[in-house]
Amino acid sequence: MLVAIGAAYGTSKSGIGISGLGQFRPELVMKSLIPVVMSGIIAVYGLVVSVLIASGLAPDNDYSLYAGFIHLAAGLACGVTGLAAGYAIGIVGDSCVRAYLNESKVFVTMILILIFAEVLGLYGLIVALLLNVKASDEVSC
Amino acid sequence: MGYLAYSVAGPTSVAGIVGLYLLLTGSGESFNVGRFLEESSPYLWAMTGIGLCIGLSVLGAAWGIFVTGASILGGGVRAPRIRTKNLIRCAGKVYSMVPILIKYNSIIFCEVVAIYGVIMSIVFSSKVVSIPETELYTASNYYTGFSLFWGGLTVGTCNLLCGVAVGIAGSTAAIGDAADPTLFVKILIIEVFASIMGLFGLIVGLLVSGKAQTFEGL
Repeated sequence: MLVAIGAAYGTSKSGIGISGLGQFRPELVMKSLIPVVMSGIIAVYGLVVSVLIASGLAPDNDYSLYAGFIHLAAGLACGVTGLAAGYAIGIVGDSCVRAYLNESKVFVTMILILIFAEVLGLYGLIVALLLNVKASDEVSC
Repeated sequence: MGYLAYSVAGPTSVAGIVGLYLLLTGSGESFNVGRFLEESSPYLWAMTGIGLCIGLSVLGAAWGIFVTGASILGGGVRAPRIRTKNLIRCAGKVYSMVPILIKYNSIIFCEVVAIYGVIMSIVFSSKVVSIPETELYTASNYYTGFSLFWGGLTVGTCNLLCGVAVGIAGSTAAIGDAADPTLFVKILIIEVFASIMGLFGLIVGLLVSGKAQTFEGL
């Protein structure tokens, strides 16, 4: 039961990783919504991992230390990478949109850079999913 | 820069001194994380979670409101028409103005964040019941305590950052609107994206605490 802390922390951390997006502030005078949409996608990653972890928690099933730490690791992986990716998307989006004002050929380059930043969040999601699959193994710990 | 040094060195040195004391007087066994978790009351965790939920949410909403409001007031000097479009309103007094509601959205999104916090606090606090201490420490009560703590912390922190994001978006909306009125709706879309973050926090908080049962004796 003590291990419920670890798993709850994992769930909440991946949820908090969502908030890492709060760092962005694209200043637009035209319709360049792509950085914003990508940040929203990172939030969805965090939400997905939270739902997966929370579905494994319940007060009445046996909850091993092993499962608790796995959930903690999954949540932290997704949350911290989401934080980093969101921050990167924010800064890149901001400066790229400003450059787009002056030079419209920058658009394709902006998309490429944003995709690289987005993929960081995706890595976190993949690792979290891989870890979570192991959480339901039978173990005596 | 000086603040950073103090805030890092202070707790580190305190922790170092306490650690050395425990080590050198041979009482290192008294640092027992498991025993702390077992012996601390579930009420501690549950109440702290509920308090942080509402506190951090309201902090985020307030931060967003002041960021947006400062921009609206500043921009209103040069372009007074944005005053009426982005007018700050007190809670709950605009139900008669629903047709004009679309134009007041900048501050509304910030208040919604605070309302999320209030709702979650009420939902969490419905699970807290007074149980005599001899019957308090059951597995189900531990689960409830911990899940309310982390659920409340998640909701509070997500709302905090959501409020800040909505505030920054709203302030740029006001400034953009002062420059060119056709931009307002476009920047509003960004605010919508920012406010979904608070919504996700709400969802995660509900998920985490959903299976927690109310405190109950043996």
